[in-house]
Amino acid sequence: MALKKLDVRGAKCPIPIVKAKKEMDAMAPGDQLEVTATDPGSVPDFQGWVKTAKHALLKEQRTEKDEGGKELYIHLLERR
Amino acid sequence: MADIPDDAAEVPVPTVEVGSLLPRLDRGEKIVLLDVRNEEEFDSWKVEARRPVETVHVPYFDFIEDADASIAKVPCDRDVVVLCAQGGSSEMVAGMLQEAGIPSANIKGGMIAYGVYLEPVRFPLAPGEADRFELWQVNRRGKACLSYVIVSGGEAVVVDPSRHVEWYEGFAVERGARIVRVLDTHVHADHVSGGPALARRRGVPYFVAAGEGFELDQPVTPLADGQRVRVGGEKGVSIEMRVIRTPGHTPGSTSFLVDGTYLLTGDTLFVASVGRPDLGGHVDLWGRALFDTLRRRLADLPGETRVLPAHYGGTSEISPEGLVWGRLGDLRQSVPEMRIATAEAFVEAVRSAVKDPPKAYAEIIKVNLGAPATEEKISEWELGKNQCAAAASKSAGA
Repeated sequence: MALKKLDVRGAKCPIPIVKAKKEMDAMAPGDQLEVTATDPGSVPDFQGWVKTAKHALLKEQRTEKDEGGKELYIHLLERR
Repeated sequence: MADIPDDAAEVPVPTVEVGSLLPRLDRGEKIVLLDVRNEEEFDSWKVEARRPVETVHVPYFDFIEDADASIAKVPCDRDVVVLCAQGGSSEMVAGMLQEAGIPSANIKGGMIAYGVYLEPVRFPLAPGEADRFELWQVNRRGKACLSYVIVSGGEAVVVDPSRHVEWYEGFAVERGARIVRVLDTHVHADHVSGGPALARRRGVPYFVAAGEGFELDQPVTPLADGQRVRVGGEKGVSIEMRVIRTPGHTPGSTSFLVDGTYLLTGDTLFVASVGRPDLGGHVDLWGRALFDTLRRRLADLPGETRVLPAHYGGTSEISPEGLVWGRLGDLRQSVPEMRIATAEAFVEAVRSAVKDPPKAYAEIIKVNLGAPATEEKISEWELGKNQCAAAASKSAGA
């Protein structure tokens, strides 16, 4: 099992999902992808996308703020 | 299979502005609105027009995951306009549709643009009035918020402006008037007022009454109950606005009677309901105050008084001319809460109708009392429609 990280801070929809899809397509079932985003809309978007794509959303975490003062949204996904 | 563009921003697709789309939807033109937001956002806030809007909902990530199946869900015999939260995902989807041979346009700025778009509608005044003043109802369609611009003798008074203050400045110039005063009917809980900023930029008096229990941290020029404010003066043309304290929705709520006939009620009285008196956590006290306002303070006003509120609940409340208004005499009969005879029954009725408060209302109230906030936060709080009436109202087709 591999864990990849994807940084999409500052990107607005659809970019986070477009990039996450590209990464996931290149991964093997069971591999995990940790996406770090700043767009609050990424939370319902990732929830919706994993349902459509039939991947798993293992964890969603909102951190307080990064060094730039932005709230971060971390999505941990697993390729199915 | 359709390709997913590497960078959505580089695909050239036709765009359509909210301001040109809404009149077309109002007229009932055959347009399909393809909403590509996630389910949560789609369920909580939709584009509304005076006719039912034919809407197809397919989230943009479905297009990313399975383009062909998603494109197949889009009707291809009518104009398609694509909508998302901010305009990025809809641009990508419109590009994919174009590539698949389905003519489509991206709604520029998405729901953010819809939420800030302002539509001015002129109230048709009687001949004896029209040569003395203009009355404009400015409809913030996305939030169902109404503000007003009254123009007379080279001067303009703005009531309940939303925070896009440059729009009001430009509008006053268009009408050949200078803004001389800015008024808020109350401390709004559903949107950030543009009142203080507009007054500051024009260097003119600003009024709002917060009422007991609220500390207002804004420079305000107080107006007393019954006070008359003159608007105009150029070429001998002017009108009067009378201040009427109408507590209930908030303890400081104030209405303004324009030229003796047009009553700007704020959130005190709507055309299908009354303002909810529960947002301060004192539904009994504020509810009784609202009852007293509606039954006693407004009792002397003639039935011919035109009520012009600060909100509407649904598109069914918009007249064919695009205005939200009612005759006070009619509303005394048609608004259910106006017919309740006792304060006790009134409080019980508004208490039982209590629904969720407006999103982030506590934060918005703080900002309207004078606390600072970033543009980003305000924009996030203001997403969604208002929830200011005591009872829900229907929208076209709903």
